[in-house]
Amino acid sequence: MKASLHQFLTPETRRVRRLAAITVIALTVVTLAYKFIYPPVFDAYVGKTNALLTYASSQTLTEPQFEALAQDLSERARYAKAAAIVGADQAPLARQVKMEMLMNTASLIRETEPTHIGYFRDAGIRRYEGPHTCLGCHPSMKVRHPDGRVTTVDTLDNLVNTVHFKFQSDAAGFSTYGYDGRQVNASGSRKIPVGKIDRACGIPGSFTWTGWAALVASRPAAAQGAVELRSEGCGQCHIGGNYQPATEKMMPVGDVPDDAKDGIDCLICHSTEYDMNQRHVIRDAHGQRWNQDRSMRAALAVGPIRNDHCLRCHQHNMGGDAYLHNQAVQALGTENKRITHRGAKRGNPFSPQDDVHAAAGIQCTDCHVPEGHRIPRGRLGVDLVANDLPGQEVSCQTCHTRAPHNNSQYKALLNGHVARLACETCHIKSLQENSVVLRDWVHPTWNVEEGIYEPTDIYRSGAVGKGFTFLWFNGNGTFLANALGNNPSGTTDYDPLMQQMVRITDSEVIAAVRAAALKLKATYPDIEVESYVKAATDPLSQLSPAMLERRRQMIDTNLRAPMTVGSSRIYPFKLFNAMMYEDMGNQGPFGAMILPFDYPTYYETGDPKAAVVQAVRDPIIQRMYQTPFKLYMMDEFMSYFGVSGGWQTKYPLVGGKLVNVEPHWMRQMGTLMINHGIQGKGRECRDCHARDGIMDFKGLGYTPERVAELMDLEQLEAAQPPSALGESRPAAAPSVSRAEP
Amino acid sequence: MNEKPPTPRRGRRLTTAQSSVLAALLVTVGAIDASQPPGVDPPADNRACLRCHAMATLAYRDGTTGGLVELFIDPGRWAGSVHGELACIKCHAPDFRYYPHPQSATSEQLDCVGCHRQDQERTDYPFQTIAEQYAESIHATSEKPRARGFGCHSCHDPHGFRVSKVGRPLAEIVRDDNRVCLSCHAEVRDPLRDLHQWLPNRDAHWAAVRCIECHTPIAGGDEAQRVSHRILPAKESNLTCVNCHSGNQRLLSRLYAYRSKEDLARDGLLAKAVFNEAYVVGMSRSVLIDRLSLILIGLTALGLIAHGFGRYRAYQRSRGN
Repeated sequence: MKASLHQFLTPETRRVRRLAAITVIALTVVTLAYKFIYPPVFDAYVGKTNALLTYASSQTLTEPQFEALAQDLSERARYAKAAAIVGADQAPLARQVKMEMLMNTASLIRETEPTHIGYFRDAGIRRYEGPHTCLGCHPSMKVRHPDGRVTTVDTLDNLVNTVHFKFQSDAAGFSTYGYDGRQVNASGSRKIPVGKIDRACGIPGSFTWTGWAALVASRPAAAQGAVELRSEGCGQCHIGGNYQPATEKMMPVGDVPDDAKDGIDCLICHSTEYDMNQRHVIRDAHGQRWNQDRSMRAALAVGPIRNDHCLRCHQHNMGGDAYLHNQAVQALGTENKRITHRGAKRGNPFSPQDDVHAAAGIQCTDCHVPEGHRIPRGRLGVDLVANDLPGQEVSCQTCHTRAPHNNSQYKALLNGHVARLACETCHIKSLQENSVVLRDWVHPTWNVEEGIYEPTDIYRSGAVGKGFTFLWFNGNGTFLANALGNNPSGTTDYDPLMQQMVRITDSEVIAAVRAAALKLKATYPDIEVESYVKAATDPLSQLSPAMLERRRQMIDTNLRAPMTVGSSRIYPFKLFNAMMYEDMGNQGPFGAMILPFDYPTYYETGDPKAAVVQAVRDPIIQRMYQTPFKLYMMDEFMSYFGVSGGWQTKYPLVGGKLVNVEPHWMRQMGTLMINHGIQGKGRECRDCHARDGIMDFKGLGYTPERVAELMDLEQLEAAQPPSALGESRPAAAPSVSRAEP
Repeated sequence: MNEKPPTPRRGRRLTTAQSSVLAALLVTVGAIDASQPPGVDPPADNRACLRCHAMATLAYRDGTTGGLVELFIDPGRWAGSVHGELACIKCHAPDFRYYPHPQSATSEQLDCVGCHRQDQERTDYPFQTIAEQYAESIHATSEKPRARGFGCHSCHDPHGFRVSKVGRPLAEIVRDDNRVCLSCHAEVRDPLRDLHQWLPNRDAHWAAVRCIECHTPIAGGDEAQRVSHRILPAKESNLTCVNCHSGNQRLLSRLYAYRSKEDLARDGLLAKAVFNEAYVVGMSRSVLIDRLSLILIGLTALGLIAHGFGRYRAYQRSRGN
């Protein structure tokens, strides 16, 4: 039978069958290689580690322990609700009795008891094991889109492809323009991954690759010479629990391994009872990573996302670590306490004490309306931070409409300003005082209390004109976070990249910088105070004439279009600059490639050069200086950076010494959007419309005549109605008097 | 509630010359795109007013209704309008020179007939008739709170009046005109209160017909005045299809009459006769079907002629034999 069948096949058919078999085998081999060989090879190439992640807080509870915990959580929730209902203006015992009665009513229990107590009880879950436990019930989720569509997506897949996990995006939708004039990752261009993952920046001094999870041996004064380990690194907030950021996601193929996905910290966002004391660096056989709270307490207390959940991390770059109402900083860790950063990035906290919306109980997600795990940050963006939903608007106007003022007698005039001014311009009158404007990483200062060397903040201010200024902004920004926009007149008189962002002219600020330089000179005698002040307050002075000429030409040719497009309004921007080490082999008119610092070396030795050497030794930085990386992304990256001729792969570390590396201030100050810390009462007319007003109308590109008009309120004041003197004048009979006979 | 409604106040009367110039202009309502003719600089003495009123978002919410009161005067659009050469205080009370504007000024109510008298020579702009018609309009007679303070400028923007641009697409005119009505009558579009449910092909009507075609009396009285200003209440509005869908079309006497003249001038009589876009029962209004029908008619005629010719030749041949 078999033989006869074989005879039936022609040689042609046999050849086809052979070809098919070969194809199937080849495909299988490729798939297996992709699945099992590519991941370890990639990890080895970039020098990253993946391993099974365990957490000490993930413990199995016995039945009585579970019930006791459930009882406690339920009681706390019911107590909080009852306390909010029963008035405090009565005898304490009366209040207590009433609250107890209320707390035991079926409806209040139903309303307040954390829902997951019941779910876990019924499902027999007695141990929280990270995403594995969550996905048991939530393998997929419904995503509501703004247009009303509802789609169902794979929960884990949805999450790992968000910026909260990846810290980068290679999709289109960046509002960022390279200094070469091209929109980053615009359609038609070669897409490269950009975002926090590969953006070394002067505020943290490192980036996620080289500064993920570090243990720093500090010698605080209080410990009298004893060493205390402290935690530091970008991973403290980010939701991945792995030994490094999700580097695999930067490649066009491949995915983070399952072990890394098991390390995702669902509860830091979703639990109402997350213990930030669990957030510290731990060291195991494979390396260092960030611990997380995987207790049953945190898991049972899962609830709708509230402001304090987001602020566990985000108060860090809004209010800052030293902000009085930063809750997370009250829980620095049960061991290896996190290092707090004293200079705030923006100093515009979102808390009831300092923001009118937070005080009104408005939730982050009311404005940043999530679609699944993707959370919009708005269409405007001046920095190079990836955006999951670039098309989705997050703005004041969504709620406030375009006639937001209803209370003032000048409401119409105030509303009139909306066409030219962002709400923030009047309603953020100051930032936290400790907002850092100039940070010197090259000359660290010993912090006695903490027992570490810290970068020296030579100027901090939250005051208008000092810590922040006003710029035209149309929603676009440059590759190094400079707000783009233009005076609606469309002229070239507004020239921020040669004016506002490169020059500190306020004499008080200059005096403060000089004082800080003098103080630094005590530790670093090599500092020449005047040239130090010059470089810090006039960073363009660091450029050669040829470079300056090229800068001028690039601004005119490449940036005028993205500045003038759309409609600009005046926004407030936090100013920031830092002195760091730069690879001068990759220099352009807007700056050179910043080199990161290794945190432990920097904090422990106070030797910034040694810290750079250590960080540059990181395998991924070495790869960065090799051809595959150059071709894959760095050439494109440098073009956006305004450096022509492509990425120079000359590794700056030769024989343990830094070569062609110099300390510099960035050639212009970064300008950071400030949108929180909103005050209900805005500025007065006179704050801007006066000769000594806070708004530099000339710098903003207005003509001299218009500047004079804008600085002059007298015309309006002279027009005060005589009714201010007496309402009874015969004013209401104009109909006859105005008609000509 | 018991405060007296402000008495309409008349602006300055125009001279006869001014009046006739203005009356000669064919004006259109509401939203006209601002990108039309390049603006002339407004008179210099308006600068003080425009310092504030040129702010694009100058507006406030009315304290009682919550509705948005727009105070923005687009300098370019105004300069290009028929009123563009007037000084602000030509129409507005001098008390507006004070800021904050005293109530004596802000309570003024201007209307068209305050300035525009009936011009005997221009029968197509009978301001007096308009005023009489308007006085009977539901907008004027309604006692509903939302109709309070209704006046000419609720629909017609005096800062945007302009000579109607000849050759504007009909659909655009319909859309812009209807936008004026819909800016208050949003309920028309409310799917839960479908007030035009009875109307077949409702959306097609909305796209091609102005609200006022049905919501004004059929006979305008004066032929030259195409649309009456007497807006009818819903109950009295025209619900009869035949008023439009018939040989004696009401539509043709109004909007489409204007259009017909335009077409005639542009395309000539024959094309106009063949490709009339006006809707008459039985006509398709589809260019393609119209063309196909024409070809079909032509082919039929050709066939008939050929057939006749064939018959004639055959007859001749039989005669010859």
